[in-house]
Amino acid sequence: MAETHAPATVPFEERMPRPPMVLNNRSMSWITNLIAGIPEQKTPLWWYITIAITGSFAGFGVLCILYLLFTGVGVWGNNIPVGWAWDITNFVFWIGIGHAGTLISAILYLCRQKWRTSINRAAEAMTLFAVICAAIYPGIHVGRVWMVWFMAPVPNPNWIWPNFRSPLLWDVFAVSTYFTVSVLFWFLGLVPDLATMRDRARSKVGKFCYGLLALGWRGGNRQWRHYEMAYLILAGLSTPLVLSVHSTVSFDFATSLIPGWHTTIFPPYFVAGAIFGGFAMVLTLMLPARSIYKLHDVFTWNHIDVMCKIILLTGSIVGYAYTMELFVAFYGANPFERFAFINRYFGPYWWAAWSMFTCNVVIPQLFWIRAFRRNLITVFFVCMCVNAGMWYERFVIIAVSLTRDFLPSSWGMYYPTWVDVMTFVGTFGIFTTFFLIFIRFFPMIAMSEVKTVLPAADPHYHPPTIGGTESMKEAHV
Amino acid sequence: MKRVFSHPPKESSGKHYWRGSEELAKTPEFQQWLQREFPAGAAELETDAVSRRNFMRLMGGSMALAGIGLSGCRRPESYIVPYTKSVEWLIPGKAVLYTTSMPTRSGGLPLIATTFEGRPTKLEGNPLVPSSNGGTDTFAQAAILNLYDPDRAKTVLEEGKPSSADKLEAYLKKVQGDLQQNQGAGFALLLDYQQSPTRDRFLTAFKQRYPQAEIYFDDPLVAGQYEQAVETLFGTDVVLRPAFDQASVILSLDCDFLGIEQTVDGVKAFSARRRAHGSAKDMNRLYSVDNRFTLTGGMADHRLRCAASQIPAFALALAGKLAAATNDRVLAAMVSQVKQGAGGFDDVWLAECANDLVVHKGQSLVLLGSRYPAWVQGLVFAMNNAVSALGSTLRILHRTEFKGGSLQDLAAKAKSGAVKRLFILAGNPAYSAPVDLSWAESVQQKVPEVLRLGYYEDETTAGTKWHVPEAHFLESWGDQRAPDGTYLPVQPMILPLFGGWSQLDLLAKLLSLTAGADAVRDTFKSVAGSGDFEEAWTAFLRQGCVKDSAFRVASASFNTDRIPTLLQGAVLPGPVNPSAIEIVFPADYKVDDGRYTNNAWLQELPDPITKLTWDNAVQISKATAKALQVAEGDLVEISVGERRLIAAILVAPGQADFSLSLSLGYGRSAVGKVGHGTGFNAYLLRSSDGPYFATGATIKKVQPGGYKLIRTQLHHSMEGRALIREGTAQEYESNPAFAKKVWMDKDIEPNISLYSHPPLNAPNQWGMVVDLNTCIGCSACVVACQAENNIPIVGKDQVEHGREMHWIRIDRYFSSADGDINNPHLEEDPEMVVEPVMCQHCENAPCETVCPVNATVHSEDGLNVMAYNRCIGTRYCSNNCPFKVRRFNFFNYNDRPVLDKIENGLPGFQGKQQLYLGPFGQWGMEEISKLQKNPNVTVRSRGVMEKCTYCVQRIETAKISQRIKAGVKGDLTIPTDSIKSACQQACPAEAIVFGDIKDPESQVAKLRNLPQNYHLLEYLNIQTRTSYLARLRNPNLKMPGAAKIGHINTIHEPVEERIGPATRVEPEGGNA
Repeated sequence: MAETHAPATVPFEERMPRPPMVLNNRSMSWITNLIAGIPEQKTPLWWYITIAITGSFAGFGVLCILYLLFTGVGVWGNNIPVGWAWDITNFVFWIGIGHAGTLISAILYLCRQKWRTSINRAAEAMTLFAVICAAIYPGIHVGRVWMVWFMAPVPNPNWIWPNFRSPLLWDVFAVSTYFTVSVLFWFLGLVPDLATMRDRARSKVGKFCYGLLALGWRGGNRQWRHYEMAYLILAGLSTPLVLSVHSTVSFDFATSLIPGWHTTIFPPYFVAGAIFGGFAMVLTLMLPARSIYKLHDVFTWNHIDVMCKIILLTGSIVGYAYTMELFVAFYGANPFERFAFINRYFGPYWWAAWSMFTCNVVIPQLFWIRAFRRNLITVFFVCMCVNAGMWYERFVIIAVSLTRDFLPSSWGMYYPTWVDVMTFVGTFGIFTTFFLIFIRFFPMIAMSEVKTVLPAADPHYHPPTIGGTESMKEAHV
Repeated sequence: MKRVFSHPPKESSGKHYWRGSEELAKTPEFQQWLQREFPAGAAELETDAVSRRNFMRLMGGSMALAGIGLSGCRRPESYIVPYTKSVEWLIPGKAVLYTTSMPTRSGGLPLIATTFEGRPTKLEGNPLVPSSNGGTDTFAQAAILNLYDPDRAKTVLEEGKPSSADKLEAYLKKVQGDLQQNQGAGFALLLDYQQSPTRDRFLTAFKQRYPQAEIYFDDPLVAGQYEQAVETLFGTDVVLRPAFDQASVILSLDCDFLGIEQTVDGVKAFSARRRAHGSAKDMNRLYSVDNRFTLTGGMADHRLRCAASQIPAFALALAGKLAAATNDRVLAAMVSQVKQGAGGFDDVWLAECANDLVVHKGQSLVLLGSRYPAWVQGLVFAMNNAVSALGSTLRILHRTEFKGGSLQDLAAKAKSGAVKRLFILAGNPAYSAPVDLSWAESVQQKVPEVLRLGYYEDETTAGTKWHVPEAHFLESWGDQRAPDGTYLPVQPMILPLFGGWSQLDLLAKLLSLTAGADAVRDTFKSVAGSGDFEEAWTAFLRQGCVKDSAFRVASASFNTDRIPTLLQGAVLPGPVNPSAIEIVFPADYKVDDGRYTNNAWLQELPDPITKLTWDNAVQISKATAKALQVAEGDLVEISVGERRLIAAILVAPGQADFSLSLSLGYGRSAVGKVGHGTGFNAYLLRSSDGPYFATGATIKKVQPGGYKLIRTQLHHSMEGRALIREGTAQEYESNPAFAKKVWMDKDIEPNISLYSHPPLNAPNQWGMVVDLNTCIGCSACVVACQAENNIPIVGKDQVEHGREMHWIRIDRYFSSADGDINNPHLEEDPEMVVEPVMCQHCENAPCETVCPVNATVHSEDGLNVMAYNRCIGTRYCSNNCPFKVRRFNFFNYNDRPVLDKIENGLPGFQGKQQLYLGPFGQWGMEEISKLQKNPNVTVRSRGVMEKCTYCVQRIETAKISQRIKAGVKGDLTIPTDSIKSACQQACPAEAIVFGDIKDPESQVAKLRNLPQNYHLLEYLNIQTRTSYLARLRNPNLKMPGAAKIGHINTIHEPVEERIGPATRVEPEGGNA
């Protein structure tokens, strides 16, 4: 291409041009106008319609929860032997989704993956909402909700402390820590953008609210220096949490002795699965937002491509874990263990296990092909499959393992009730409602961070001249 | 206005002391420090009298806070009735025990009633009675719930309208006058079979005084055939009782002597010969021939499936073999006299079984179901005679009994119009009488005046002139003879709750005699013998029996001359086939003949064989179901002649082909809340000529899958897992520890614990051993546990959801009878094994580590204890329990109606239990039901986990009394074997033994040391405190297929080869 005009020393970019983060040579002000413009514009009609739908689902879900609280856990289909069914399945499902956000914000930040800037804000928000949905379940699934505070290490006259050996207690600590750090991380990242919103706000209410939330941000050097240090520290704090939360959640099962639960492979397998499911959910939410708000220049095909690759990688890890579980069951020569896995794939719930395997392992293999990674329909399809598949995975591990354990006399089936279903639908309602509120009132892309990956933010940057190389042109167009 | 106190308030006069130079200096800093250190008001509160202003302020504040925090609001305490009139020895909160007994058709069941402040809460067997070991059956355990049944008859009804006891007495006076006038003409009494000397005395007096009056007896399960055979062949006043302690070889021809036809002493004697503690040489051998799995069939070493109508033919074929082997001429003559049946029985089976009976001559016993025709009964007596059983294993005893007519006699007489007054003092003939009598329409209607003494207002109540509420046996005086003849008292524990009358009360009124204790005392005079009467009477009540009052051996002998008369009516029914199906009507294991249909504990008790709850069903073999193209849950119409019934199908392993079983007692039309809408009425198919089975039935499918049958156990195969370990008696002799290292437990590595476990250092260490070799699976322990531990019922709907609350369950597995897994008949003709499973009290309990709130923890004496108040109901413990013995209160089963259905509800609610109505449903337990609760056990609320506690309340009671005995520094070790758990106490087979495993003298420690002792899932290193003694079978090696009997668990196929197809085919409710 450029061989004829090549200078003696070829710059790195020329040999292997990096795809730009923001397309079409957009300026800083363009980005501010685009992103800050979304909350500033008049509320579109579709937003009202959508939030009416999701809000009513959320409302009905809350009614279901109230019904459960006033009546008893029996309104669900849980039974003996299946003490945990959709409740913990959904808990783990939502917690898993909550993993992508912090991974993108923290781990990718530490790894200097600059492409994260376009998606981290929305992903983090999604994390928070997913964790909220997740946290509902452990709270309401217990028999005596009004005594849930027994889980907290509160000094009491009986001197009974929580049982620190119980993984369920570790869960409480892990999830609450994760949520706290995630909220701080998300909010810290929002502060400069909220200041932008404050400065641009025209209404008094907007000015006051954004002003309050912006914590007096002025954009001074000192503030930026502190901000970045704080951001780095929080990223450092979050990184182990990404790995620990789902590991801890997996301990609920791994430390028990039920065949199908009692597995040492669970922590890494659950973490990979969580990232897998989380990325799929980020794409599920962001692809429509990208189309609606025309974010194509900021949230580019390259971003989608990279995320698809991560889905492919983590999906393959999950597939490896499934296979390894089967191998260990075979090789471990424990008849109970073997039975659990034969029952998983050929027992009465075979359809759930095969749906899981197909959705999580087989279908993501489409992403080996570049064309599928760069096609909205296939990407969205695969993500929806992964969302469903990851739910099935939790159901298969949690409920199906319980249906048939050691003593065949106590085997039993599990069937969900309408309350089970509607509570789950309700959490989707809550999740999407929160997300709609988020995109309506907050900058959904981190403006200040995106600006740092613009070529213009590079002090050594030289805009392409007319006599620039072909490759440079190609790369920037 | 706020008063500011300075410190000190003002300069004092006199000598002045100071704290430091700062004070002298009076600097503002010092003043400030003082203010901070001694804040305003503090001095006043501590030292000064309360000022008016402060008093008002504090009171006002308290009142306001009380209003805000509602801390001052509490429920008004009501119904506090001081226990002013106390019995001298009564200590509130401490149980008082009384002896009594429960009348049954086979005789009185000796009992001890536990009462708290005058209300009986629990019934237990009376071990002071020589024939009893303190065991009971399910019915005795559940009888206490009948006492507190909210649906029982509560008022005297005249023409269906509430009346009064005074009016009834006036009526009885009039009846008595009439009786005296006409010598009792036109008067009939209908009674049940009971062994009550006082009642017999009353009846004798009645007959003497009113000779024209007629007395009839009825019980749906007594066909009169057996009694007729006994009377013909042995004479009157004779009773034959099997002596299981003498019997080495027992053949049961459809005689469920461990189930329906059991007596508790019989089970005790049988299991004593079954037990193998060290040696199995004395173990008896049981052959069973029956059409369905019974408890007896499940215990059998050799079981043969045989249609009930073919049992006579089988008996005849066997008699032939026996006659040939023993050269018994009587038997041979009998065999030749009856036309031989089609045969088709396994000849080797017959021959070897007969051989075994002959070889053990004098120690063998043949039993036949009591409802078979008299000639077959006679044949079986002759068989017993041939093997010298009469007088040795079948004892001939002298028993006098008041005799009367049958229900058929009464019906005939009533139809002729000869009965003007009928007093029905027992039973429910309008429901249970054979249909050909058409009792309700043409018998009861024909009698102008019917008085009914009934515990419930039921089918028979309709159209009666008087309905008198019957008193429970715990509310009335009486007496009973135990099945072995021992004289027992029936003592009232409480005044009749609803003014009920007993049979004796009513009879006494007609005879102008005194009922109650005096009547029994009068009878007792003839039993007491010489000596001080009062002393004997007190001893009788205290002990609950008169020692050495059992029936004496009768002088009567087998009268062969009368055989021909007996054989005259001998007919052999034709063979069964798809177009001539037979249907058998056994009594139900749960509700008997229908008298317990309104007992919720029994309704929810899983049937010991089918594990069906809240219903009965038409049991059918797999092959027959296939041939007739019906499946489980299908509604079918069964036609026997003109009679028709629509009922649900249940595919039952072990059922004979083309032989259906439908137990009696269900499908009641007038019954309380509990029994309403349960099961199908088998009486509608039963006629006088076929009291036990009907032949020539046809089946038509009405509605496929039209009925929900709810079972508590859905999977019937052990899946090759060594859960119940079984061997043979021969194997036990050569390798007594055969059960120790089996399957997963074969090579357990020694475990090194990462945790330091809390020490188990209490003086007693509790444990339990269950002897699978004697456990017959009768389920008395399940009901006993329910009664003792205030376990609620949950209703059919909740059982369907897998939420039954029983703390102990009896796992029942079917296994390949011949050990061949590829046998196509595996599901049709399996062996049956049972295993009671309750909390195993693991020392390394998996439930304890996972509970986040420390609600389930370990005690120093080795109990896995539950703190209900701490439990928040995460259900993690249940998930992690490998035995799944923990039970969760998914709803508030105690305070919500579990039986009422939602009539008109939203879709998803309709037809469901009211439990789902949450705060909109009814609230609160019936007042009368509260009386039954054991005050020493918490009634659990919604949302908490519960499970077997090893009856911790009994342990604690023992601990307290030991503490009192031992004083401050004494030894707190509870004496050896002084506590029994409720299940142990109820077990007639003594299969459950609880006690201190640390005490080498205790029974449980000795059993634990037996070589056949094993722990469930030992490889998990959970260190269970409950262990099991392996099951033994005692096969006759010459019998067909004997080589494989008792070997199910030593041949363990690789599990994956077995599970694949089996699970895929039957996701739910099937049999594998």
